[in-house]
Amino acid sequence: MKLNLFLTLSAFLFCLGVYGMLARRNAVMILMSIELMLNAININLVAFGALHGNLTGQIFAFFVIAVAAAEVGIGLAIVLLIYRNRASVNVDDVDLMKG
Amino acid sequence: MLIADAIAAPPSDWWAIAPQLVLGGTAVVIILMICVKRVDPGWNALVAAVGTVASGVFAWEQWRQVTTDANPRLAYSGMIAVDGFSAFLVLVVCVAAFLGVLLADQYFKREGIDRGEYYALLLFSACGMQFMAAANNLVMVFVALELLSICLYVLSAWNRDDSRSQEAGAKYLLLGAYSSAILLFGIALLYGGTGTTNLARMAEIFSENVTREPGLVLLGMVFVIVGLGFKIAAVPFHMWTPDVYQGAPTPVVGFMASGAKIAGFAGLFRVLETGLAAFEFDWQPLLVGLAIVTMLGGSILAIAQRDVKRMLAYSSIAHAGFILTGLASGTAAGVRGALFYLVAYVFMIAGAFGVVALLARRGERYTSLDDYRDMFRREPVLATVLAFFLFAMAGIPGTSGFVAKFAVFTGVADAHQWVLLTVGTVASVISAYFYLRLVVYMYMRPEVDEGEAQPAALPRVRWAPATVVALVLTVFFTIQLGILPQGLLDMAGKATLLF
Amino acid sequence: MDWFDSWALSLAVFIPVVGALVILAIPKAREYQIKVVGLVASIAALIVGIGILSRWNWDDGGYQFEVNKGWLSAIRSNYHIALDGISLPLFILTLVIVVLCIIYSWNHWPEPRSPKMLLFLILLLETGMLGTFVSLDLILFFVFFEVTLLPMYFIIGIWGGEQRIYASIKFFLFTLFGSAFMLVGFLALFFLSEPHTFDIVELSANGGAAAAVISSTAGLWIFAGLFLGFAIKVPMFPLHTWLPDAHTQAPTVGSVILAAILLKLGTYGFVRIALPILPQAAHSWAPWIGLLAVIGIIYGSLCCLAQTDLKRLIAFSSVGHMGFVMLGIATLTPVGINAAIFGMIAHGVVTGMLFFVAGSIHERYHTRDMSRLGGMLSSIPRMGGVFVLVAFASLGLPALAGFPGEFTSMLASFEPAGGLSQSLFRGFMIAAAVGTVLTAGYMLYMLQRVAQGEVPGEYAGHHLHDIEAPEYVSWTPLIVLTVALGIFPSLVFNVTNSSVVPMFEQIFHHAIGG
Repeated sequence: MKLNLFLTLSAFLFCLGVYGMLARRNAVMILMSIELMLNAININLVAFGALHGNLTGQIFAFFVIAVAAAEVGIGLAIVLLIYRNRASVNVDDVDLMKG
Repeated sequence: MLIADAIAAPPSDWWAIAPQLVLGGTAVVIILMICVKRVDPGWNALVAAVGTVASGVFAWEQWRQVTTDANPRLAYSGMIAVDGFSAFLVLVVCVAAFLGVLLADQYFKREGIDRGEYYALLLFSACGMQFMAAANNLVMVFVALELLSICLYVLSAWNRDDSRSQEAGAKYLLLGAYSSAILLFGIALLYGGTGTTNLARMAEIFSENVTREPGLVLLGMVFVIVGLGFKIAAVPFHMWTPDVYQGAPTPVVGFMASGAKIAGFAGLFRVLETGLAAFEFDWQPLLVGLAIVTMLGGSILAIAQRDVKRMLAYSSIAHAGFILTGLASGTAAGVRGALFYLVAYVFMIAGAFGVVALLARRGERYTSLDDYRDMFRREPVLATVLAFFLFAMAGIPGTSGFVAKFAVFTGVADAHQWVLLTVGTVASVISAYFYLRLVVYMYMRPEVDEGEAQPAALPRVRWAPATVVALVLTVFFTIQLGILPQGLLDMAGKATLLF
Repeated sequence: MDWFDSWALSLAVFIPVVGALVILAIPKAREYQIKVVGLVASIAALIVGIGILSRWNWDDGGYQFEVNKGWLSAIRSNYHIALDGISLPLFILTLVIVVLCIIYSWNHWPEPRSPKMLLFLILLLETGMLGTFVSLDLILFFVFFEVTLLPMYFIIGIWGGEQRIYASIKFFLFTLFGSAFMLVGFLALFFLSEPHTFDIVELSANGGAAAAVISSTAGLWIFAGLFLGFAIKVPMFPLHTWLPDAHTQAPTVGSVILAAILLKLGTYGFVRIALPILPQAAHSWAPWIGLLAVIGIIYGSLCCLAQTDLKRLIAFSSVGHMGFVMLGIATLTPVGINAAIFGMIAHGVVTGMLFFVAGSIHERYHTRDMSRLGGMLSSIPRMGGVFVLVAFASLGLPALAGFPGEFTSMLASFEPAGGLSQSLFRGFMIAAAVGTVLTAGYMLYMLQRVAQGEVPGEYAGHHLHDIEAPEYVSWTPLIVLTVALGIFPSLVFNVTNSSVVPMFEQIFHHAIGG
């Protein structure tokens, strides 16, 4: 069945995103991983929309795209802030607080 | 099929989203004020405070209508629910936002980072929280959550020259976005399993045929619980909380700790109690486990902390566990207790962080336990107020904290969940230990050990009127809800009944 | 005087807290006004108490001055307060002791000196204690029970000795831990009983009929929860370890209030709540309670023999004396309960007095180490005399307050309630008798070291003050009571018996059945 192909692709991309999120130490790469996760979900949403024959999934995907853009915008701004301060975007260096 | 037929514009029901509109509108007004002419940000704060009060008035009117005429309804094609639950939590968000505005002004002036945009972002975030409380559709849940979260990311990093604040913002953003993605994945699966994102419709589908794609739905449910678990800072999804609470500017933490938690719980309650009510036997054990590890984890980890803000962060985690307990009990009394707890918690946490913000002085330098030594001698009033909030959070009778815990535990006992009840009470005793330790530092330890040099005396803390108002309000309601909680308990009871 | 009947209890309970709030409003510098307000508030409460005594119906064993108003209707908890023969003596004792403590403190305040805060806390504490004794609703009881915790915690933690922080936290956490389980027990009682209620009177009516629907296993668990809460407060062996620390570290008035009244909250809880509501569970637990009580008696006495610190010795003697009280309760007979209540009052008066004197001794000698004390009878004869008298009362000399309670308690364990093993309880009786001998031993040993002999050389040049005016005023009532209760034990027995007998008739006829 075709749906399963989409779901498998989406699950694969999502896992890739989760892996990147956990394994990458570069803040920009982590943001990209999150993007990957969100887009995997978009595939899911559109596929399910087609399955159920309604528009909710596609419309939802638009919302997700818009929100993801906002999130990355803010994310890059904060990362830039950190870069200006420490000349590094490695999240391992961002460890002032522990406990 | 013409697109125009398929997408008919829903009828406008301004009244249903009046509180949200007022908050969002006020935020826009503040931005316009800034665009026209930069004035003292105190004026922006004043506008923001008025806006939250106005929003609260609308929310109260909604509450009054919904409860007296008993006509909960859906608006905007089922996107928005107007019922006791939503009106109650919208009102609580107004309170949290109001306190957040009041506590901010003095702090940001002291830190030299007072900019009017802060209030606009705070209001947008509160607006998102209110939408979350009223959301009846998973799309709405997601969008509202992102609205409130994105504003909070920025607010966390508000002190942009302070590296702790930057770090807090970055960590909150990365983990927040991650948790949003997980939540969204869960939402997508729920949609895949049911073909709808409307929670009321979802419940109907389940009542007709429970077995339809249970695998997808159960998986989606778990993802949704995990995703919202991040937002309410439940163990084991709490790791961002201590760092963010420690690093972010203290008034932001006060607002974030109360508001974001309200919103997270609102989403969790709504999704589980409305949309997935048919799966109660599946999510209840999950929540029981989550509640147990959250209560114990928060209480035990807090003992190891030497930083007061960090300790309060773990305390807020433990509180999340107690609130979860109410939902996990699966009884009306438990949910009522949880709603009462949220209100009591808003006052306690806002008050406690308000005092901590004052005592931290410029640059937030004094937040470690040792800085609180002998605080009673140096700042008797503030020390007493803080001790009062600590005892309230520990659940000492005569304060709202006790009634809140008691109300939650009543629900648990009602469900005859004796293990959960016993763990809960033991966790509350464990948590009393670290609250007590801070009191010990403030009241019983001399400022320096014998033989050490006396540190230079800090100037006395100055009080701005707004701060005084906020602290008086929080203290008053913490006592009032502790001695005569009947009114709010009744309200919370009505808020659960109208599901 | 109708208004008095309905308002008297509330007045007595809340006058102290109003006084405390007034004190809070007075600037710290106006010390004299603060002291006067504190004294006036406590005396006003005492006057209300005397009014209650004057209008008391001595023949009626039921609840008097009863008030039952709605409070938290959402959780069906009411503001239900009243007194009966069991709580009246404790209620009056509380009122008296607090007044005496404030008088005693009049001229010597513990360091760091802050009469404002200390009086505030004492008055708050008084409200908590009085409230606990009058509450007839489980939640109300719990609230007042917990309210006593905070002031005592601060009193120990701020004005205590070297180890005060450790002692205060230990005190707080032990009690809180116990009350957590107590709360679980209360909630379980509410939801398992039929009809659901927190009302102590309803729950205990007809031998705990409302709670009789609870399965016996659940009943045993609930009793265990209540037991933890109350036994930690008493304190019973092996949950007593907070007590010596708290007593040793606390300032004098703190020790006095702790010994005289706070410990009674635990035993009172057994008599008022645990026994009448869950008689069957109590019946099953009684042998264990008796055993722990007897161990407490022997263990407390042995520990006393090993102490060098005067206050620590008195603290351990409390463990022994409260053991007698618990033994009386464990017999589950009217005689035993009467003995227990008498024992509570007697212990309150005598041990309270002992701590007063110990505090004054500490003030004179600047040490509580008994090896460095001595010669009180020759250097400060009046205080020495008082000390000897009270110590004799504490060791249970007939014709003094300590004797009737302990003797009756042993008498009761000769003939425990039906169904309890007679031989076991007679064994307890013999062990308790050994305990009295040990008590006599350590008390005399203590007197020998502290009161007799020569004043140690290090005090040779010092002039030691004998009893001063505030001490006279605050001690006289307690000394009079010590003698009066010893000679006329019926003063208390008559009051308590009128309520204990009906309570037991209910338990026996309905629950245990003979």
